[in-house]
Parts: sequence; structure tokens; C-alpha cells
Amino acid sequence: MTWRTFCVVAGWFIVASALTDAQTKNPLEGDQAAIRGGMGLFRARCADCHGMDAHGVRGPDITQVWASGRTDEGLFTTIKNGITGTEMPAQPRLFDHETWQILAYLRTLAASSRPEASRGDAESGKKIYQANCVSCHRVDGTGGRLGPDLSRIGAARSREVLELRIRGGVEGFLPGFEPVTLTPQTGTAIVGVKKNEDLFSVQIMDSRERIQGYDKSSLKELQNNPRSAMPAFGSNRISEKDLDDLIRYLQTLRGFDPAVIQ
Amino acid sequence: MTRLALPLVILGTALLSAQQATPPALVTTQEIADGLPRDGSRWVTFGGSYTNQRHSPLTQITPANVKGLVPQWTFQTGTLGNFETTPLLRDNILYVTGPQNVAWALDARTGRQIWRYRRELPSDLTACCGLVNRGFAMLGDKLFMVTLDAHLLALDMRTGNIVWDATLEQYKNGYASTIAPIVVKDKVIVGAAGGEFGIRGFIDAYEANTGKRAWRFYTIPAPGEPGNDTWAGDSWKTGGASVWVTGAYDPDLNLLYYGVGNPGPDYHSESRLGDNLYAASLVAIDADTGKLRWHYQFTPHDVHDWDATEVPILADLTISGQPRKVLMFANRNGFYYTLDRTNGRIIMAKPFVQTTWAKEIGKDGRPMTEPGHTPDETGEITCPDITGGTNFWPPTFDPSTRTFFVNAREACMTFYAWKPDYKAGERFTGGAGQRYTSTTMPVYGALRAIDPTTGERKWEFKYLRPSTAGLLTTASGLIFSGDNDGNLLALDSRNGTLLWRYQMGANLHGTSAITYMIDGRQHVLVPAGTTLTAWALPQ
Repeated sequence: MTWRTFCVVAGWFIVASALTDAQTKNPLEGDQAAIRGGMGLFRARCADCHGMDAHGVRGPDITQVWASGRTDEGLFTTIKNGITGTEMPAQPRLFDHETWQILAYLRTLAASSRPEASRGDAESGKKIYQANCVSCHRVDGTGGRLGPDLSRIGAARSREVLELRIRGGVEGFLPGFEPVTLTPQTGTAIVGVKKNEDLFSVQIMDSRERIQGYDKSSLKELQNNPRSAMPAFGSNRISEKDLDDLIRYLQTLRGFDPAVIQ
Repeated sequence: MTRLALPLVILGTALLSAQQATPPALVTTQEIADGLPRDGSRWVTFGGSYTNQRHSPLTQITPANVKGLVPQWTFQTGTLGNFETTPLLRDNILYVTGPQNVAWALDARTGRQIWRYRRELPSDLTACCGLVNRGFAMLGDKLFMVTLDAHLLALDMRTGNIVWDATLEQYKNGYASTIAPIVVKDKVIVGAAGGEFGIRGFIDAYEANTGKRAWRFYTIPAPGEPGNDTWAGDSWKTGGASVWVTGAYDPDLNLLYYGVGNPGPDYHSESRLGDNLYAASLVAIDADTGKLRWHYQFTPHDVHDWDATEVPILADLTISGQPRKVLMFANRNGFYYTLDRTNGRIIMAKPFVQTTWAKEIGKDGRPMTEPGHTPDETGEITCPDITGGTNFWPPTFDPSTRTFFVNAREACMTFYAWKPDYKAGERFTGGAGQRYTSTTMPVYGALRAIDPTTGERKWEFKYLRPSTAGLLTTASGLIFSGDNDGNLLALDSRNGTLLWRYQMGANLHGTSAITYMIDGRQHVLVPAGTTLTAWALPQ
């Protein structure tokens, strides 16, 4: 075997290895050239339905696909084959490397699903979590339900986003967690988070975690509270080090997600 | 043969002969032209009549008793996807198309299926936007239905079997069809979808008996034809201008009126400089020849995907003391228009939702556009959004109060554009949109009652979110609508007062209720999601 032949064979093994590994991992993830190419492909082929920011227009929001447990391999297959019986078309003319490019770009729009460079102590973070968060949030079946379940939050959000949210730098709330106060015609006000609403009724989880529906005609007032129920944890409440520990703990979480077919 | 057998044979032969001599009455062009009869015995064309007024003469259900409506039956499709159809009724049988090109004949008394038709669709179908169908047309003993792979089928009304199958165009090149056909004289009128796939749109007429194409009107003129010079270079070849919503017909003028879809690529202006006729226009076509009589372009050089594929409504109104033959049109671009349907000239045009791209229509009939509303790579914010001030869901018109009703949307969007490459059969939009919300531009919907002579709003009923429901009015003063949360609504059409509601579990997306009489009782039939539900007052 000549040196040249060796290089070709070795190169092939590297590519083949990458392709084999591609069953679970995008070989082009993080590749800046691929991301740029993927941006063009995404805009040309996907953005009209899924939106420029992938948060959905005609088609669904796809920024949380990894967070919900989809794999690179599964997403690759979805893009290539489409979803029969829906508007999601197959892309038979899309080369494999172009599909990976799209996923590499989409990954930059979606939140990180992997812990970034280790920082902080997860064990310590767990204690901070239990002291400050558990009354409203739930992890792996334990904790409160008024706030979003955090069992996979580390896979769904980047460190920066988590930090902003904890520190109170992000306005708004997820659908289903909008704070609301209902004032019945008689009796005391009911505080909770709104789960659904139409012209005639509203469905909430109250502060005692009871899910209830109310006919609006039975209410004196329905007040939507403009601010999230999530308090801002400034550095006076959680130090920089404790924040690192807390985020590190959240990044280790890989809870069960029933939306994902195991 | 015994002495008894011979009379039996004679009797049997006589019965058979009698049956053969009196087949079910055939659907005639006259009854289609007559529209909705006072006895409520039929609904035989998409808009109830060629005018598309969707205004029923029935009065058994009234504002006073509508609260008493009770369900009579519910039919479930058992298929993936939702209804966008207008069912037809004849001889107490409902003929209904559904998603995925499934269709049914149902007993209107019970909702029980009589036959079911299902078309095998190719696995590489890329039809935009939804695998839906908007309804049958009928004539004689045939039903006519378009398919997602761009065919027109004639089905036997009694069996659902195919009588003939005509190919409109090749689906592999991006063509599809979802429109409800209409029958005019002996022809079936259809159009092709595919405005996001670089097609060249058209309106076709087929002989109802044979499926042979009688004429084709291309919605984009070829070189040498008037209007081709409104497309730079070869852009006319892939300019879209699809036709996917049913038009109207005036028998006296013998004119068909169809709204034409957006030019393609949807957003990228420089790919197709010019006005881009007859995209985003209303075309009036001779029903016998397919020749263009006149056109009016609502949105010259549209760059926001504002198909003019809304449902046109015809009426004869007295305006400023003069009898006028008008065409009423609430457009995706946010303007409401009353046109003279003899010549296409504007009688009145006015925004019915917030519009930032243009505030008014000039005396020359062109919108007076505002600067800064051409999408580019950095994005620009425009109201209305891509879905528009309204869209394909049918409006309605009450001639007794001279009121046009439409489900309107208040929404804005950031539009982006970039130069696309064309590949046959692939999406060709050259841009994208992103939802835009702010405290000054909240997103909501409203059922609006509009005076077609002035464009003034008579009343509105607000929804939490924009509704995509079609409408139905009745001579008793009711309007049936729906919100996007699944509530079926009945309102007083004179003032917008909510009278009755029922949670259907799915919104009336693009569908309207229809109404008819069965055994002396007025029924209201509502397609919503995967169900059809019939309502009536208690016996």
C-alpha cells in the first residue's frame, strides 16, 4: 500500500466512521461553513413554513425538536422523507450533506441540547435548586407544577438563556403559564396560571395546583398579569458561583419525555 | 309455468320497467342557476348560487329560537386532515369531499354513509397548502371533484365510481388542485393550485359529459399576448398565479369571475419586475370561450403572498340612485372592493383591516403604496400579514339589509426576501415571514358587517384570535360563524349580538355552515375538523 493509497483508505474510514456515527450525531454540527450553507438551504426550503426563526408560521415551531428528544438521525430522516399525510414534503433531491447542513443551522436556532463547557458543581446546584425552585418547578416527577417542568430544560435552553431567565432578564412566559387572577361574582379572588381560554371560558391551574375551568359569565373580572410569576433571582439571592452550580445541575438533567418514542 | 307464476312474472317485469322508466331526477343547469330554493330542498353549488351569496331564504330557525338547536347526528371522516369543504345536498343526500381526496355520499336524515370514494395519492406529492378539498360540483347524474395530483374526476352520484378522469397538469411540476368546481351550462370550471411551486396558473373548462377540455385561460399571458410585458424576462414562465378558490358566474353577462393567486416567487421583487398580470387580480372570462373580457388587479406586483383567491360575491344594488351590477370582494391585501362587474371599474374601495402598505386606492384604480414595504434580506414589517386581512374562507351577503359579512384578521408580519432558484416541482417562494406582535399592533380577529356602497363598518364581533371560518346568513336574520377556538356561533345579522354557541372541538377552518330542509325541519350542517354535524330545532 502506497502512502497515497493509505491516505485514501484512511480518509474513507474516517468518512465511513462519521457516517456510521451519523446515525445518532450530525457530522457537520458546529461547522461554520456548513452552518452558513444550512442557513441558505433552511431559508429556501424550510423558512416559508417554519419561519425565519424556525418558530413556526404555516408549519410548526421546530426550535425545540432536540429538546423534545428527537435525534439527529430521526430529524435527518424526517427532512429526507417528509411526513406522509401532512404538508411536510420529502426532499428527494436534497443531498445528504445538505440535510446535515440544514440541521447544523437549525441547531443554532434551537437551544443547545448538550451541556456546554463544564462550569459549576451539579451536586451543589441540586441543593440550590431544591431550596429555591422546587416549589414551582418539577424535575423527574418531583416538585411543583405551577411553573414549567424542568426535567429536560438543560437540553432545551442555552446557558445564556437559563442565566437570563433566572436573573429575571427575560420578559414574558410560556403558553400555559400566564399568571392570571379570577374574581368570581361572589367569593375571594383565585390566583393561578392560565392553561387555556376562549371567548366564553378560561381554564387555569390555581395556586393549590388544582386545574379548573370557569365560565366567564360567572366572573366579575379576569385579570391577566403582565409579568411572569417567576421571581428574579439577583446576585443578592443567588451568587455567581451558585448560579454556575444551579445551571450545571440543570444541564445534567435528561428527564423522561413522553412525547418522545423511546 | 303455473297459473300463478305468469302474473308474478308480468308484475315483476312491470315493476322493473317502472323503476327503469323513472330514474332519479337528474341535476339540471336550471336548478343550479336558480340557486337556493324557498323550500330548502337543495344546495347544489359551492356558494349556494352562482352569486356566492350564501344567503338562505329559510326562516324556521330564527334569532328567537336558535338557542334551541340540538344536534341530529355527527359524521366522522376517519381520515387524517380536516374539512375545508362545502357539502352539497340533493334529494336528501349529502355529497361531501374531505381531506386526502376522500369523498362520501351520506343520508342527510341520519348521517349514515351510502358510499365512500378514496383516491390513491402519489407518495411524492408536494401540494401546498394542506391536503384538502373544497367541494363537489354536480350535473346530471355526475359529481365533479378535483384532486391533489391535479386531476378532475367525474363520479357517478349513485355509486361514487369514476366516470371519467381528466388530467389538468403534471403534479410533479408543482401543480395541484383543491378548488370546488362549478358547472356552467355543460361545462365544469376548475383551476390549478401551485403558486408556491413556480407553476403557470390557469382556469379550465371541461365538457361535463366527456371530460374533454373545452378551453383554457392562462392567468399569465404568453409572449405576444397583452399583459406579458408586465413580467420581466422569462419570469412569466414560473409566475404562479394559481386559482384555488371558486369564482362566481353571471348568466346574463355570461361572465365567470375568478380571483387569481399570488405571483411567484412570492416575496422576491427583483425576480419578476413589473405588475405581473393577472396575478393578484380578478378576471372576468367569457364562459363559452374562456376569453378575457376584463380584469382588475388588486395588488400590482404583489410581494406579500396576497393571493386574490377570496370568494367574489355578486349582487344588484342601487348606488347613488342608479341600479348597479356589482361584485363584492374582501381581499387578502386588507382592502374591501365593490366593483362594477360589467366592466371591472371600482365603485368603492376601502381598507377593512389595518393596512400599512397602502392607505387608499387612487382614482386610477391602483393602490397608493407606502414606501418601505418591499421585503429584503433584512426584513420589513407590513400589515396585513401573509395570511391577510381575510383569505379563502367564504364571506356572505344579506341582500335584504345590503350587508357584506367577512371574518377579518388584524395581524402584521416581518417579511424577508432573497433570490430563489427554480427547480421544477420544488417550492419557489424566495423569502419567508415571521410573526410580528406589538402592543400597538395586537393580533385578533373580528366578524365585520360592511356596507358595500360605502365600505363603512356597520358592526363587528371580536374574537380573541383571528378566525378562519366561513359564513352563512339566513333570511330570518341569523349569521353562522365560528371562532378559532372551536366555538360554532350564531349571531343576529342585524347587530352582531351573539345568540347561541356550541363548542365543536375544532374550528370551521375555511368551511361554512350550509342549511336546508329535511322532512319539514330546517337543518344547519357544520363541517369542523374531521366531523360533520347536523343541527335542527327539537321535533
